Amino acid sequence: MTPIEMTTTKDLILPLKRIQWRAQISAYLFLLPALLIFTLVTWLPMLQTVLFSFQTVNLVKPSVWIGFQNYVRMFGNPVFYTTWKNTFEFILLSLLIGFMVPVLLALMIHEMRRFKSFFRTLAYMPALVPIIVALQVWRSIYAPEGGFLNSVLKTVGLTPQLWLQDPDIVKISLVIIMTWIGAGGTILYYLASLSEIPTEIYEAAELDGFSPLQRIWFISLPLVSSRMMILLIMQIIAVSQTFTEPFILTQGGPGTSTMTPVLQIYNIAFLNSDIGLASAWSVSMLVVLAIFSIVYVRLYNRKEEGDRN
Amino acid sequence: MARMDRGVISDIELRTPAGRLIVGVFVVILVLFGAAFIFPFLFAFTAGLKTSTEIFKPGLHLWPENPNWGNYLEAWNRFNMVNMFKNTAIAAIGGAIGQLIVSALAAFSLSRLKPAGKRVIEAILLITLAIPGVAYLVPRYVILANLPIINVSLINQFAGLWIPYAANAMTILILKNSFDQIPKDLYEAAAVDGASDLRMFVSFTLPLSTPILIILGLLGFIGFWGDYLLPLLILRDPALQTISVRLISLTRIFGANLHLAASFIAMLPPAIAAIFLQRYIRGGISF
Repeated sequence: MTPIEMTTTKDLILPLKRIQWRAQISAYLFLLPALLIFTLVTWLPMLQTVLFSFQTVNLVKPSVWIGFQNYVRMFGNPVFYTTWKNTFEFILLSLLIGFMVPVLLALMIHEMRRFKSFFRTLAYMPALVPIIVALQVWRSIYAPEGGFLNSVLKTVGLTPQLWLQDPDIVKISLVIIMTWIGAGGTILYYLASLSEIPTEIYEAAELDGFSPLQRIWFISLPLVSSRMMILLIMQIIAVSQTFTEPFILTQGGPGTSTMTPVLQIYNIAFLNSDIGLASAWSVSMLVVLAIFSIVYVRLYNRKEEGDRN
Repeated sequence: MARMDRGVISDIELRTPAGRLIVGVFVVILVLFGAAFIFPFLFAFTAGLKTSTEIFKPGLHLWPENPNWGNYLEAWNRFNMVNMFKNTAIAAIGGAIGQLIVSALAAFSLSRLKPAGKRVIEAILLITLAIPGVAYLVPRYVILANLPIINVSLINQFAGLWIPYAANAMTILILKNSFDQIPKDLYEAAAVDGASDLRMFVSFTLPLSTPILIILGLLGFIGFWGDYLLPLLILRDPALQTISVRLISLTRIFGANLHLAASFIAMLPPAIAAIFLQRYIRGGISF
């Protein structure tokens, strides 16, 4: 061991370390814009939502801590329960009306030898259009006087309905729009999973004397069912956030029959400027959606494992 | 690969009466649903051709007696749609480009540069996917209205839309996945040549990922073009408002026929973007 040898080893190690540091700096320079922007518009707001919910927020003066008062006010307001009851009904209706439609349409589109991409594009069209524009058109379709739907009913001799003004019908009217908008994306998803099923399975079943409908029932549906569970949860999460349809078409009415939590958060924050209370509502929303998201992630992981095996 | 195009029903069965019946029923159902999916577009188009009295005339008449093509011109001029289109295009194109730049840079770092704490960063990006934006909309608005530390307000600024649009964890994760597929040898060869990280990023990582970049860009454009809530909160000045926000406030002033004509015009840019999208997406989107 001579001193000369010592310095050579040091010389070898030092530049290596320096290069690693430089690599880290470079790695973080690439990440910097994303980290800055996510902190600003996502991570910080998430944290603040929780903090605000315990405060009286004043945008000019400093905010005051008030403990659980916002939550007491939220739980003491009957509208809170109404909005969640409405959401629950929206979810039930959307599953009833909208859950099986995309599965069945995807199965049918999958059987098309020609015009497959034509039907696929058609189904996806509603999702591409600005939602506001789509709602304007639906407003005209649902219009009580001279609206398309009532004109059809009159022509075939049925009583016209108040599609957006009758509390008994308005939820169904809105859910039809939601299904119309959402079906296309779901159909694309099912089509992708249907095309992953090896055709040999169908061939074997055909040789064993299974009819086409039996093959759909015993092969296609079970194989897409793991995705159906995921889409079920996704649909519940999406419907829980219903805002634009009632905001534009009904303002939550008639009465409070289409009032939803997000619409109420909007009203409390931006019409009443009560940001603390709105944040308490947001936290309640966050808790509910987080539960569904955890279920979703679990199902998704299980599906990924299933795909790998 | 010869038999790839069979579905549940085989080609032989297609020639039997039962097979033809089933497929025939499928076609009828699909055509009916297809008509329902496209109906609102046709409705907006033909309603836009009617006169203001004809549109409210009771009874079924989809096609107007005398198509009023001038409605479209009138809607375009009276709604000042040039300005609306300009604003929406600035918001949507700026948002899509910003999102691509921010996401591609981050994805490249996560995919190739091994930043310390990579797993933590990926985990907190995933969390943002699980929590929907509406839950923290209020503080997000408060922050954009008065940026912390520098005290700048982004109300009535397009940057107030571009910044939140740029934060998309899904885009980052999809791009990272795509960058992971690029062969390692390319990077090793480039490193031997002394290329910097930035050079590797610009000279072959991005060019090799062009299709996915275009798909994500178009999807971003379509989504931002139709965005409503954020533009409503951020762009208060009517001269800056995007189509979605402006159309709603104009509902009360103009007739329904002009309104539906304008609505139809507003559908066109995302529809055109979708046609381009079709060229890049073959065989459906899987995620």
